[in-house]
Amino acid sequence: MQQDIFLVGSGLTRFGEWWDKSLRDLMREAIEAALESSGLQAQDVDLIIVANMLAEVTNNQAHMAALASSLLPHHPPALRVEAACGSGALAVNTACAFLESGRAKTVLVVGVEKMTDASADAISQALMGAADSELDAPSGLTFPGIFGLIAKRYMYEFGLTREQLSIVSSVHHKHATENAFAQFRYELSPEAVSASPLVSDPLRLFDCSPISDGAAACVLSTVHRSGMRLAASQIASDTLSITQRPTIVSFPATRAAMELALCEADITRKDIHALETHDCFSIAAVINMEDLGFAKEGEGIRIYEDLHAGHAPMFVNMGGGLKACGHPVAATGIKQLIDVSKSLTRGRARYGLAHNFGGAGATCGIHVLENTHV
Amino acid sequence: MNNSAPIVQRAQKRERDKFLPGTVVSFTTLSHPPARFGPRPRMVGLVELQNGRRVLAPLVMDAPYIGQTVRPRMRLSHVTHEGLRVYEVAYDEAPQVAVTEAFSRYLLAFTGPSGVGKSTITKMLAHACSDYVAKVPILTTRAPKPGDDGEYLYTTSAEFDRLKKTGKIVAMTDISFSSEDWRYGYRAADIEEIWSASKIPVVVTEMELLQGLAHHYGRRAVLSFGLLPPGKSKRARLSQLLHRLRSRGRESEAHIRDRLKNAERDLAFFGERKDLFDHMVVNEDLSALVASLKEKVPGLSGA
Repeated sequence: MQQDIFLVGSGLTRFGEWWDKSLRDLMREAIEAALESSGLQAQDVDLIIVANMLAEVTNNQAHMAALASSLLPHHPPALRVEAACGSGALAVNTACAFLESGRAKTVLVVGVEKMTDASADAISQALMGAADSELDAPSGLTFPGIFGLIAKRYMYEFGLTREQLSIVSSVHHKHATENAFAQFRYELSPEAVSASPLVSDPLRLFDCSPISDGAAACVLSTVHRSGMRLAASQIASDTLSITQRPTIVSFPATRAAMELALCEADITRKDIHALETHDCFSIAAVINMEDLGFAKEGEGIRIYEDLHAGHAPMFVNMGGGLKACGHPVAATGIKQLIDVSKSLTRGRARYGLAHNFGGAGATCGIHVLENTHV
Repeated sequence: MNNSAPIVQRAQKRERDKFLPGTVVSFTTLSHPPARFGPRPRMVGLVELQNGRRVLAPLVMDAPYIGQTVRPRMRLSHVTHEGLRVYEVAYDEAPQVAVTEAFSRYLLAFTGPSGVGKSTITKMLAHACSDYVAKVPILTTRAPKPGDDGEYLYTTSAEFDRLKKTGKIVAMTDISFSSEDWRYGYRAADIEEIWSASKIPVVVTEMELLQGLAHHYGRRAVLSFGLLPPGKSKRARLSQLLHRLRSRGRESEAHIRDRLKNAERDLAFFGERKDLFDHMVVNEDLSALVASLKEKVPGLSGA
């Protein structure tokens, strides 16, 4: 990093189905919580970066940056970024660029999505905007379908069983029971996951992250300090369509972003003690472990088996991940950063990593957070 | 979802590029596919085509498996709210081809005016029944043009004449447009090669070429289809052709006018030389037409 950037405040709404809260309400709630936790005044914010994917489709609302700016009394400059489910990480990365260059000294980053106002079919089609509209969508594929193809192929290549895969969501649900902001705060047995309805063979309902409303905000600053320093902020990209990739059982953008992030933070994987990874579908969590380099190819499930058995090699998705905490698309990447900071504080650990991707890994953002108190 | 006519049109062009056999890389069944496909589960596969490209498309077999060889079929996918009929390539299991010992050597010929859909139908038939039929390339003295899709072999006038003199061209015609004059023909070697692979050669012809083929191989060796545009009157049919030629966007208005004049002659030819046609078919619904052609061609009904 060209400058020391600190996470000085963060705020979340509870993720879930909020019929009585609008896009504006959710964003305001998260922003107010973030500013309050930072101890700063709204006027200290130089710039707002908004992460959002679907507001035009689900809420008839474009121009999200101006909407966010109107929530602060001095209407600071604001801009919106979008990389589907990876929008949150992209927003933090964009904020870092402004902070490192000196164009801004304190940036408010907010991610928001209001998904439950739309019908299931409409939201499913809108989310397919994260895939290739010419190469992927005409086949009728949905995102559960894309990850169904990935899961089927992964099982074929590496012999992963249905019973093993069910452990992933079970672990995430267990973690969510202690997260006040989680959408589903109850435990789920692997057997219940295996018995849930088929959505896209071999993926079942409880393999899939839910449709959620929610917002997450954080304040990043180069002039105000805290114990949480951003040690790395990296993004990487891949082809938008899975048809243009030589393999579908690995996401090269994750591998690329991880190498860049480790290099930037000047650490190794062994230094990472808290991880928030993008488990939009259970199979993604397994593959992520391999792409991030925490497991060998075909052995990502072993980390979840260890977590399930109580032999945690590190803190993983302690807030419940996307599956149990909820997945309001563009808010997720920012929520992950906040959850990493919580895990580092609680666990008195030094380094944590947030891994967020968009689409089927076409955009990947990785942030490394350092707890400077350790 | 935006399903405007230009988006559908571009999507249809891309669908045609998928028309190759391939291998299943992975597949899944969507319990609740997008509403436009109806309420039934939909199986979608990631297929690696023979040319190395990967595509996503529905699979229509009962029990696919990874590594399975599949072949394409064109079918009606859905009708948009605006009434546009959207076709898609779906993949089915590839059959085991049984080569019959007594293969009868005959040609399949499609004749019709420009814009009636000869090339599209032939391509669809060739792809849908790729184990049974193969297209015969047309040798031409004209230069390549944008929009040509592999159906032509290009040569010089001198070479064309040499082949003609040595009897290596079995049928030929001169086609004049405004100030241009080009020759088109079929080479015997191309047809023989297809026969020797125990397949039926398919030719896209016009009246002179058809007469040439019937003369060279004998009328009984040509199973001949006349293709008509939809419409009850000559005026309605010509209007359909004009619309199709313009929407192809490949030619100037002057060329289109020439083609329309020729089309008028072609339509008249159907009436004058009924003896040269075994079946007259109307190109209104592509997939239905291909299905009906397969019924009419011996040996293709099971393809």
